[in-house]
Amino acid sequence: MTAALGSDAMANEPAPDFTAAQIEFFEKEIRPVLAEYCLDCHTGTKAKVGLQLNHRDGWLKGSDYRPIVDLENPGESLVIRSLQQVDDKDVPAMPEKGEKLPGPAIAALTEWIGQGLPWPAEGAGNETIDPANHWSFKPVAPETLPEDAGHPIDYFIHRSQETKGLTPAPRADRATRYRRASFSLLGLPPNYEEQNLFLKDDRPDEEAWADVVDTLLNSPHYGERFARHWMDVARYADTKGYEAGGRERRFVHSYTYRDWLIRAFNEDMPYDQFLLYQLAGEQLVDWKKPEREHLAALGFLSLSKSGGAQELILDDRLDTTFRGTMALTVSCARCHDHKFDPISTKEYYSLYGVFANSRIKDEPTIGAPPTGPEWEKYLAEKTAKQKAVDDYLNPILERLAEENPDIGKRPLQLLPKLTIQEKAQRDRLQRAHDTFVIDSEMEPDKAIILKDNPRPGQQAVFVRGNPARRGDIVPRQFLAIASPEPPQPFQNGSGRLEMAQAIASPDNPLTARNIVNRVWLWHFGEGIVRTIDDFGIQGEKPDHPELLDWLAHWLVENDWSIKKLNRLILTSETWQQASQSEHFEANQLIDPENRLLWQSPRRRLDLEQMRDSILAVSGTLDDTLYGRAVKILEPPYSNRRSVYAFIDRQNLNPVFRNFDFSNPQETTGQRPTTTIPMQALFTLNSDFIQDRASAFAKSSASADDRLTHLHRAAFAADPSDTDRQLADSFVTAYQSEIDSLAGRQTDSEWSYGYGQVNDETGEVTFTPFEHWTGKRWQVQEEFPVSGQPTSYLYRDHKGGHPGHNSAHSNIVRWVAPADLTLRIAGPVERKSPQGNGIRFKVVSSEEGVLLNKLLPAKAERNRSDLPEVTLAKGEQLYFIVEPHENNSNSDSFSWNVILTDLSDRYPKWDLEKSFSGPTQTADAWSAYAHALLNTNRFLFID
Amino acid sequence: MNPDFSSRRAFLRHTGMGMGALGLSPFLSGLNAADRSLNPLGPGQPHFAPKAKRVIHIFANGGPSQVDSFDYKPALTKYNGQEAPGGNLKTERRTGTLMQSPFKFKQHGQSGLWASDLFPKVAKMADDLCVINSMYANVPNHEPSLMLMNTGAERVNVVRPSMGSWVTYGLGTENENLPGFVSLCPGGVPIVETQNWRSAFLPGAYQGAHIDTKNSQISKLIPDIKNRRMPRELQRSQIDLIQEMNRNDQANQLHDSSVEARIHSLELAYKMQIEASDAFDVDHEPQHIRDLYGDTLHGRQMLIARRLVERGVRFVQVWHGAGQPWDSHSEIAKNHGKLGAEADQPIAALLQDLKQRGLLEDTLVIWGGEFGRTPSVELPTPGRTGPNLKLGRDHNHHGFTMWLAGGGTKGGFQYGKTDEFGYKAVENPMHVHDLHATILHLLGFDHEKLTYRYAGRDFRLTDVHGEVFHDLIA
Repeated sequence: MTAALGSDAMANEPAPDFTAAQIEFFEKEIRPVLAEYCLDCHTGTKAKVGLQLNHRDGWLKGSDYRPIVDLENPGESLVIRSLQQVDDKDVPAMPEKGEKLPGPAIAALTEWIGQGLPWPAEGAGNETIDPANHWSFKPVAPETLPEDAGHPIDYFIHRSQETKGLTPAPRADRATRYRRASFSLLGLPPNYEEQNLFLKDDRPDEEAWADVVDTLLNSPHYGERFARHWMDVARYADTKGYEAGGRERRFVHSYTYRDWLIRAFNEDMPYDQFLLYQLAGEQLVDWKKPEREHLAALGFLSLSKSGGAQELILDDRLDTTFRGTMALTVSCARCHDHKFDPISTKEYYSLYGVFANSRIKDEPTIGAPPTGPEWEKYLAEKTAKQKAVDDYLNPILERLAEENPDIGKRPLQLLPKLTIQEKAQRDRLQRAHDTFVIDSEMEPDKAIILKDNPRPGQQAVFVRGNPARRGDIVPRQFLAIASPEPPQPFQNGSGRLEMAQAIASPDNPLTARNIVNRVWLWHFGEGIVRTIDDFGIQGEKPDHPELLDWLAHWLVENDWSIKKLNRLILTSETWQQASQSEHFEANQLIDPENRLLWQSPRRRLDLEQMRDSILAVSGTLDDTLYGRAVKILEPPYSNRRSVYAFIDRQNLNPVFRNFDFSNPQETTGQRPTTTIPMQALFTLNSDFIQDRASAFAKSSASADDRLTHLHRAAFAADPSDTDRQLADSFVTAYQSEIDSLAGRQTDSEWSYGYGQVNDETGEVTFTPFEHWTGKRWQVQEEFPVSGQPTSYLYRDHKGGHPGHNSAHSNIVRWVAPADLTLRIAGPVERKSPQGNGIRFKVVSSEEGVLLNKLLPAKAERNRSDLPEVTLAKGEQLYFIVEPHENNSNSDSFSWNVILTDLSDRYPKWDLEKSFSGPTQTADAWSAYAHALLNTNRFLFID
Repeated sequence: MNPDFSSRRAFLRHTGMGMGALGLSPFLSGLNAADRSLNPLGPGQPHFAPKAKRVIHIFANGGPSQVDSFDYKPALTKYNGQEAPGGNLKTERRTGTLMQSPFKFKQHGQSGLWASDLFPKVAKMADDLCVINSMYANVPNHEPSLMLMNTGAERVNVVRPSMGSWVTYGLGTENENLPGFVSLCPGGVPIVETQNWRSAFLPGAYQGAHIDTKNSQISKLIPDIKNRRMPRELQRSQIDLIQEMNRNDQANQLHDSSVEARIHSLELAYKMQIEASDAFDVDHEPQHIRDLYGDTLHGRQMLIARRLVERGVRFVQVWHGAGQPWDSHSEIAKNHGKLGAEADQPIAALLQDLKQRGLLEDTLVIWGGEFGRTPSVELPTPGRTGPNLKLGRDHNHHGFTMWLAGGGTKGGFQYGKTDEFGYKAVENPMHVHDLHATILHLLGFDHEKLTYRYAGRDFRLTDVHGEVFHDLIA
């Protein structure tokens, strides 16, 4: 059998027997011609127009568009006419480059075609892999375990370790396992008290551990963790993706699918049922009964991208379905037969026909219908906004219907005839309606569902993926490679339910293996098959094929129960072993990638685990289940779990991908694991994390032993002696540093205020401003201060205004952070021609007045430059603006001061750029709590 | 399969593995495993010696008109106001008679390249430009053409990694303290938005960092670049505490690269705060350099671009602005004139500045839009009213101009031709895929081998297309 299974039947016919003379003719006259003129462009899978001339089947099959040989009338063959370069626009002149073939060569080719294309047997096929023998297409074949096998997972894993001479790590200690299980099953850090119950449980370890696993599996947070895993597969997003014309992109009801997933995992819905609901739920439930909640499952298909070409939207649904549930890259066959796997383009379009006849038409209500005056008010406004759209559109459609009698009153066909302006206006009105609906959050829960076309249309192959080039009509039916019997055309509607049943069938060789492999990945960080969503011929082979099959079979036997599968995995020694052992050195020489799992792989928390942990340990987590999406990376920051994060498919905040979040444009099997400084910038500097760190520190404020409180919350462990020493010295040093900064008005070397300079002694009295408006510093909230000499005194990033007299001059102070020699520069401006001008001065606390200049009203600008000023650490510079002769009329000024370190050790100090409000310096315990959240102890799972 | 790239992929998928393990893996022979395991942006290995080491892509988004800039068509003057013999090529909207350029063309430099007074200062750099007059794309619409130019895949809802992501994936960065790929776009985002610099299925480490250069405050340019509650000395003491705890914990454990990598990345983040602030602060430049670029938005962002590549950022994209500024459907003289005045001096300054620093040799500068414009005048759309709907040009993907400079390209070189009126590429037509293939070649990559396995197949920037145009290479 060749890899061309499922493609044209003709190409699979066995080659007839040729005589030795015929073969010799081919080798002498034909093969050299092909090599010289044809094969550069027409070889193998990269052949132009899909025409492969390097094997006989290729000649018989022709190009993607049409046959090239006519065995009955060789001279009329397209290939011959092409080579003759006849004058016919439908016949491309060949070869495309280089010279025309010599006449005798063309004659020989014609003769050869007439003989029926003699070709030696060994070259008959282009691929020799027999797909029926590929592991993933073979039926699941579980091994029978011996009586004394023990835990089945360990039986298989230890067996392969033994054959390689590997020694597994010992069982990890209880705290390590508890923490690992908590993250693996709930995505949350261990709770100290609950963990202690296990640590102090004096029953045999196996018994106590089984209870721990069951308790965690019964937590409602289990569903949240596993739903998020599946959301990666389902390329979940709360927006439709790119939409032109400013249309509303948010889904109103995407969250009902996410919530359905959480419930399905918590209720341990059998996995086959789980798939059936997601692929064809609307045909399985009674819409009038409460079971209509399962309609939300169709979000798996319906929450796809919605802009752009229809065939790509459908391809996305098809790709998500088959990569997601069967680890099969069917989508590769959209434009040409799959290059590696036995999936033909015809089969692709057989499945495509199913999706093309399943459309989003309805959003049935699945939640309680709302009532009450608020709802009535909302409804009235919504109706009015919809009416605005209709009132605008209807007269236009009526006009168009009159202008286009051939179309008549069929709005869908009339709509494209709107002018650009009309479309824009329609979009504006529609957006006003849609945005109102989403922002109101008043709609009852609804499901975004698909429905079959009542009269399904026939599906043609799109030649090379081009919908404008229709090829053969194909029946809607399932893939041959995953069907136990030759597939038959689907009978009902689009056939989507039948397709779903074929996927969720125990006889499907891929489905159970796929989910077992994914669950394995979610616990170990790698699948048994490492190419998570490619079980095809190009994918990797399983590291433990017997285990994979045994588990796949076991899952089906155990009601497709994912919880049972989780329990089986977590109770194995393989899962429970330590992340290091004395055998490391020896083991890693034999199996450097740890494919045979001789120790537990250490893993960094993913984005959700990290964020949820920070919320949990700081006591700020809002652990409400379900509901509409929340923004997690913009203020006001939500405290809900990350599974509820609003996912913007088109413009995902880069922080998500910086932390290796899945790409919501396409189904994701496995997230990458990278370490980049942008991650640390976020955990060190973001307001979100620092706010939580402050709350975390505060939560410990009343504890007798703050350190113990913080460590138990963060690590479910008491601090070690070393931790104590480090904490003490950090808090003390940090506190003393803060104390030395006390009295600082801002976080920079600059402070802003008012006062007076004695021109003789250079002594400055300086009173810092006390009120910050958010943009500028001033004396008090009232501005101007009526009847006081402080009057218009203020400073902002550009400049300010002095008070009424020289005792209320405007002053900026700068404190030298080190011994320095500086250049001082900066323009001073006073724009108004009114009044009598200002006096500006630069004064050093050690050297006295360095500069004193008058800027008269008409001069407008001057400079405050000093080429070289030497200062000791702690010495202060004052930049003073005084109302000339105590007349402050129209004395608004701007003055930017730039200080340049002449030794070039420090970046410039630029008053304007570093202008800031009051200090917000984190206190010592907040800084300590924040540090804990940044440790590897917090961020890694052993 | 290229061994370096299989190892890079293997690395990306298996960073959870022990350092010892990585060091011993046969995949990694010949690679600096330590660097890779510490940072996915560590320097990569090209397939052959590169001529260009970094890229600045100046994106004149919206579609600059070739016949008003670098594609001189005297026939337009001759036939001004007349129907084009042979008719107009179909683009997006209806167009009318041929329209001469309001800009004056002349020859420049020793090479005698033609350029109009839309770009008088860039024209002075003619002998450094490699002007391609025969570019073409597939459709006359912004969205797909932007996607094609940036990702090689024009379907708007098929999201593929951007060119900058591919290049960063291939070459990593020369400076771990800065992002490897930066996209400067003032005032917002272009059409199709962040998709223009997405990493798609490549890891997030390769996504472009979008910087809105309209902000002049550094803390607003890059999110989380500054800790607003901790002066730097205090933050240092905090990081010291974190690292001390990490090292204590690490002492009890065997070597582990993922843990090591995080220890390293904390230090990188600390340095990035200083270095990034510095890189974006053009006030550090001497006055004569700032004067060279001009004290304007475009001057500043072009100067930032130079400061970034100088510091080892691999790929910098500089957009003209949010939306589609070069989309002059009306009044080409006024609208293009304004855009040219904004862009000319900064671009010329960039070329001159790179050259005087010896950076132009191995820095590839790319200029162009997503397509060009029609030589014929755009006719007002029925129903559209207003005084300014005249003397503009429509989108044109059949033929347009881009230029390259530096990075191993031929200077003072003119390549390809459009027809008599500048409609369609007729001599040596170069598709966008060919441009991509040629760019990757200049960077030392065989575009057919710079691949990433995803969804069952090896993806590449050029999909199944692309040919390297060796004629452009010096």
